[in-house]
Amino acid sequence: MITTTLADTKQTTWAEVFSTTQGAIFQSDEDRCWYVNFAGKLAKFDYRCLLKLKKAVYNVNIEEKLLSSAKDPDLEIIFICACDHTYILSILQIIALKEILEGTFVMLQLNSIIHDKLYRAAF
Amino acid sequence: MKDLMRVRSLISNEVEALLNQQVKKEALSSSIYLAMASWCNRNGFDYSSEYFFKQAEEERHHQLKFYKYILDMGGNAISPEVTGIKQEYNSFREVFEDALDQEISVTQSIKKIYALCLQEQDYVTNEFLNWFLKEQREEEYKARRALELFEVIGEEGTGQWEIDKHVGKIKYDSEA
Ligand SMILES: [Fe+2]
Ligand SMILES: [Fe+2]
Repeated sequence: MITTTLADTKQTTWAEVFSTTQGAIFQSDEDRCWYVNFAGKLAKFDYRCLLKLKKAVYNVNIEEKLLSSAKDPDLEIIFICACDHTYILSILQIIALKEILEGTFVMLQLNSIIHDKLYRAAF
Repeated sequence: MKDLMRVRSLISNEVEALLNQQVKKEALSSSIYLAMASWCNRNGFDYSSEYFFKQAEEERHHQLKFYKYILDMGGNAISPEVTGIKQEYNSFREVFEDALDQEISVTQSIKKIYALCLQEQDYVTNEFLNWFLKEQREEEYKARRALELFEVIGEEGTGQWEIDKHVGKIKYDSEA
């Protein structure tokens, strides 16, 4: 658990879901959303948008990008429909963001299991 | 930390993805049957044409069943793109061979979803899928029976005409 002070000075408690040296994703129970700290910005994602971000990043064909001999800069635009954020990332950043997202979804799944075992299950 | 994922959806992302794939498969089936109805009609096999029109409608109904289930469970149902429908057939018999192939592939993919749900202990979706398992029993039976008619009646002489007439009468009623 870490405590972060938002720009609007509202005191919010966030739980770190997963982090690497490149960035991190936090969950805010109060706002029922996630904060993605990556590529120099902190962006808020609700449930739908986080799933869309995951899909967009997972859909990038990293292998093809790495093997491509095209001269164009290896920048990928991650645009998420109906969400406020767009990322323009290099292929290395894509790999880093993918790692963070993979870790995040494993941790969220683990959180579900913990809830099942501690609060929901009758066994 | 709240379980925000589970709160939003009963089904996992993986099950949701497979269910959406099934939506597409049912839509594909519907379009294939529609093309078969057209081919049979153009070639004078009116009973078979009618049979495939009915099948096309049933597949559309299956598609919507999956579609609404995904939405009801909190998922995102995706309206599928359906392309590359075969419009021409080399023979009357080929139409029915393709129909059976399509049903087999649907049965297999429903079995695959069922297996994933068992693994995840998603018994709710398993229960939903039970209706489809029973439906596939009927679908494969009917498609197989139609092909059998080519064997027992034979295509020579007025054979094709006889086969067509009997296709309209294929029924599956099982007590089990
Ligand atoms: Fe079907
Ligand atoms: Fe079918």
